[in-house]
Amino acid sequence: MEIRVNPTRMELNRLKKRLKMAERGHKLLKDKRDELIRQFLILVRKNKELREHIEKELSAAFAKFLLARAVMPAETMEEALMYPTRRLSLQITKQNIMSVYAPKMQWDEEEAAEGEGASIYPYGFADTSAELDTSIETLSGILPSLLELAEVEKSVQLLAEEIEKTRRRVNALEYVLIPKLQETSRYITMKLDENERGALTRLMKIKDVVRSKM
Amino acid sequence: MPSDDTIYAYAVGRTRALEKRLLEKSQIERMIEASSAEDVIKVLSESDYANALADLTDIYDFEKVLQSELQKSLELIKSISPKPELIALMALRYDVHNLKVIFKAKYLGIKSDLIVPAGTIAAPRLQSAVDEEDFRDLPDRLRKACEMITEGFPVSRDPQLIDINLDQALFEQLLHDAKRLNNAYMEGLFSRQVDLINLKTLVRVKRMGLDREFLKKALISGGFLAHDRLTVFIDEPLESLITGLSMSQYSELAAEGIRDWIDKGTASRLEKLADDYITGYLKKGKWSPFGVEPLIGYLWAKEIEIKNIRLLMVGKINKLPSEAIRERIRDVYI
Repeated sequence: MEIRVNPTRMELNRLKKRLKMAERGHKLLKDKRDELIRQFLILVRKNKELREHIEKELSAAFAKFLLARAVMPAETMEEALMYPTRRLSLQITKQNIMSVYAPKMQWDEEEAAEGEGASIYPYGFADTSAELDTSIETLSGILPSLLELAEVEKSVQLLAEEIEKTRRRVNALEYVLIPKLQETSRYITMKLDENERGALTRLMKIKDVVRSKM
Repeated sequence: MPSDDTIYAYAVGRTRALEKRLLEKSQIERMIEASSAEDVIKVLSESDYANALADLTDIYDFEKVLQSELQKSLELIKSISPKPELIALMALRYDVHNLKVIFKAKYLGIKSDLIVPAGTIAAPRLQSAVDEEDFRDLPDRLRKACEMITEGFPVSRDPQLIDINLDQALFEQLLHDAKRLNNAYMEGLFSRQVDLINLKTLVRVKRMGLDREFLKKALISGGFLAHDRLTVFIDEPLESLITGLSMSQYSELAAEGIRDWIDKGTASRLEKLADDYITGYLKKGKWSPFGVEPLIGYLWAKEIEIKNIRLLMVGKINKLPSEAIRERIRDVYI
């Protein structure tokens, strides 16, 4: 469908301006889309790597934890882990990836215990299983990666949304707006040409009439 | 009270009858081969646990059943024993557990439901003792440990201190009481437990990469193995620990358990062997007709049995392979 316009020269000029604008916008958006995809791919790759690493570590830690749990009474286990020795303070700020506001996390692992030499193991040795040690160690080591994964995964999600939006805009410009504008301006040009030809024929006709009367 | 040990005749007789109701090796074997946790319950329903399990609606609640079973046997043995104060020693552990829970809950500012009702001192009394920082009702050694914690913890805020101090105090108290009550058998039991815990602690501390000073603080006193002898090994490879122990009564256990720990990186074998070692020690007293030994043995056997059932249940619920369960199952007492 074309845009309904008056076939005037002024309208034609306006249309041409719009077309130029649309083409410029199209080019810009296309560049944005390409860059977004590039960033997206980098993040996705990182995400995959992190996830695989974490899943491997976590399943190992859980397996150990399970074994520790199997040889310790529930209350003893809970008591052992009741009071954590580490505290984590997390700050979330924004970072701008191609005008997408992705979260940026900064964390600080603090020792809740102020005395020196407080280990990551908050329990005594007498009635805890040694398998608990390994699992706590893995879990404690994995926390930074987990936070990083959270950050990357959220960014990937936000980027994906943005890419989808941009792509839709690019397509709308490329396949709808620009052809429509081109079509309409062609229509106006043709209409104007037609008018001109009409005027010309009329002039020639008048000229003939005038000449024959002389 | 007559010093004559025949006062135990009745209690030992009753214990003999109770022993018969412990799970046998064949039953354990059937449970290992069971295909699911429900099947484990089925096997248990043919045993002494039938009554307790009848009320079990959700298999995940098995932990409560085990706890109450353990408590029941403790109370039963206490009631038939002519010297309940000896049996009370076996329950002191739960007081220490409760103390740890109460202390940690207090410092975290939370309420905790991890209290085990099996202790010798009622939990509300422990609670008020901790709240008011008045530990007069507690046994001597525990009192001192509690005082140390109330002084030390607000400064260091290291929860490990609570556990370590109380664990040490527990065994000191146990050994002290066993000596006071003139019971060499129980003294031997506690000393051996201390040794085994210390051995494990040594390897664990070493694995954590902590130093000798820390180990010194973490070791429990009262064992046969002197601390000086143990702390030497912190800077040496684990293999030398095996040779170092080869002249002691723990040579076999060390050779097999620690070797396994080095090779596979898991302590499960050593932990199993440690429990089996204690079982082996207690078995020696099993046939003494006129003493507290069979009673203590029975309680230990019950504890091991419950450990085994827990292992089986957790294992089956989480679909551990039978082999992984079998290598962790403790030897039975009978």
